[in-house]
Amino acid sequence: MAPFFPLAPAGRGRGPPRSGGRVRGEAQVAEARAEGETEARSPSSSAVALAGVSKSFGATLAVEDVSFDVSDGSFVSIVGPSGCGKSTLLRMTAGLTAPSRGAIALRGEPVTGPIRGVGMVFQSPALLPWRSTLGNILFVAEMGGLRPGRHRRRAEELMALAGLVGFEKSYPHELSGGMQQRASICRAMLLKPRLILMDEPFGALDVITRERMGFALQTLWSESRSTVLFVTHSISEAVLLSDVVIVMTPRPGRIRDVVPIDLPRPRESAILRDPRFIDLSARVREGIEAPWTE
Amino acid sequence: MDRVTHAMPPSLRLLASVAKPAAGFGALLLLWQWGAPVAGIPRYVLPLPTAIAGRFAETFGVQLAGLAATGFTTIVGLALALVLGVLMALSVIYVPMLRALIMPLLAAFNSIPKIAVAPLFVIWFGLGVESKVLLAFLLALFPVFVNALTGLGEIEPDLLDLSILAGGTPWRVFLKVRLMNAVPYITDALKVAFPLALVGSIVGEFIGGNEGIGHLILLGQFDLDTPLVFAALASITAFTTLGIAAIALFERAVLKWRPSQRRR
Repeated sequence: MAPFFPLAPAGRGRGPPRSGGRVRGEAQVAEARAEGETEARSPSSSAVALAGVSKSFGATLAVEDVSFDVSDGSFVSIVGPSGCGKSTLLRMTAGLTAPSRGAIALRGEPVTGPIRGVGMVFQSPALLPWRSTLGNILFVAEMGGLRPGRHRRRAEELMALAGLVGFEKSYPHELSGGMQQRASICRAMLLKPRLILMDEPFGALDVITRERMGFALQTLWSESRSTVLFVTHSISEAVLLSDVVIVMTPRPGRIRDVVPIDLPRPRESAILRDPRFIDLSARVREGIEAPWTE
Repeated sequence: MDRVTHAMPPSLRLLASVAKPAAGFGALLLLWQWGAPVAGIPRYVLPLPTAIAGRFAETFGVQLAGLAATGFTTIVGLALALVLGVLMALSVIYVPMLRALIMPLLAAFNSIPKIAVAPLFVIWFGLGVESKVLLAFLLALFPVFVNALTGLGEIEPDLLDLSILAGGTPWRVFLKVRLMNAVPYITDALKVAFPLALVGSIVGEFIGGNEGIGHLILLGQFDLDTPLVFAALASITAFTTLGIAAIALFERAVLKWRPSQRRR
């Protein structure tokens, strides 16, 4: 198993940029992911497809004419200032809210109501205070009418990856904010969903915890092979984690730029100082900072 | 004070937690016993603790019979309030249309002082247990309903979305999310509703009938037997204390996860 928090020693950042060859030496999952462009990875199926999606609340247009495809197994971030309809996009993708116009499909199936089995992580951990950490992770199995005992091992594996060993029986209020959110991510990944939606999952955490959470998420995701749609307003977080970053404009939310992130995986903390990482971050920032015209 | 108790071993801490209030209570009794004659308060106004204890011992059988009658109507009234209060809260939560219908009615109803209606209940239901149970039920209903409404209804929206996406049926969501969320609210409500139900029973007994602690208090009043009145008050206080302690014990067993429960 990949180690939790694969933080590199500080000196490593000044070393030569990591070559693709070295990445291939890592675990097989990571190799498949790092192989090349997102588009090239699985061209046949798109896990999520939005076509001309708009959403208005009363007279307010929250999202306007958004179209994009997410290929299977990829990690796609939606970045933009607050109030650009990012969360609304996620809710529409999960079928929790209907778009005013346009269509959404998951693997070719149109979304008409709540999609059972989609993993979801919110900004708040949304844990049940009366359940232990393990009980909370198994909650999705129980809600789906499955026998929680059958998923216990998987839950424990996830907890090990997320650094939660020893906290199985702890109640949420006994965990730190970062641990609560890691438990919430484990819960979303328990049943190996094909699609996981994350709505600013690290938004409520401090900057240091947040950065570590990014690496923790990368570890969990590389093991899961799920498609992830990740909403954030942190540029570095988006570039670090994603195969593709979608940049949105504020109110109404429209797509400003789509930035493929072709950095090798797994990405360690040294990559934050890699010139390519800095260039890509700058491009995303440009998209966010560019003046918008109505 | 807290720092001192935390430094003690657990057994001593328990002893201290019992001993302190007991010592305070004892001091009050002593002050009463020696102070009342000095202050010149007549015995029929404020009987001495020893006289009350004596009267209590003499009337022990009557006290127990009175407690049985009052306790019965109180507990039946409280149980009815619990069941109906939770059912009403559920119906308002699951049928939003009902909210607009029921809530103003309930608010208006709650503004009627229930005790003022007690004579009416005697006319309708007679002098038996029915009127007392009804009064106890009505007084206990509102706090149970209001707390059940909060506990069952106010669930984090993210949690409900998550449950739905995980395939949760309404029944599973009720059982594993709403009901569990409501437990602490309902035990809190019971702590308020239990003494209220007791008030209902006793007022019912004041108004009519020949049973219960309320009846005993009335008898004491007619004969100017103040020690009997105080002895009856002592019985009912013991009953309330036991009832609240039972609710607290239940809470401690069921709500282990609560931060406030764990710290103890």
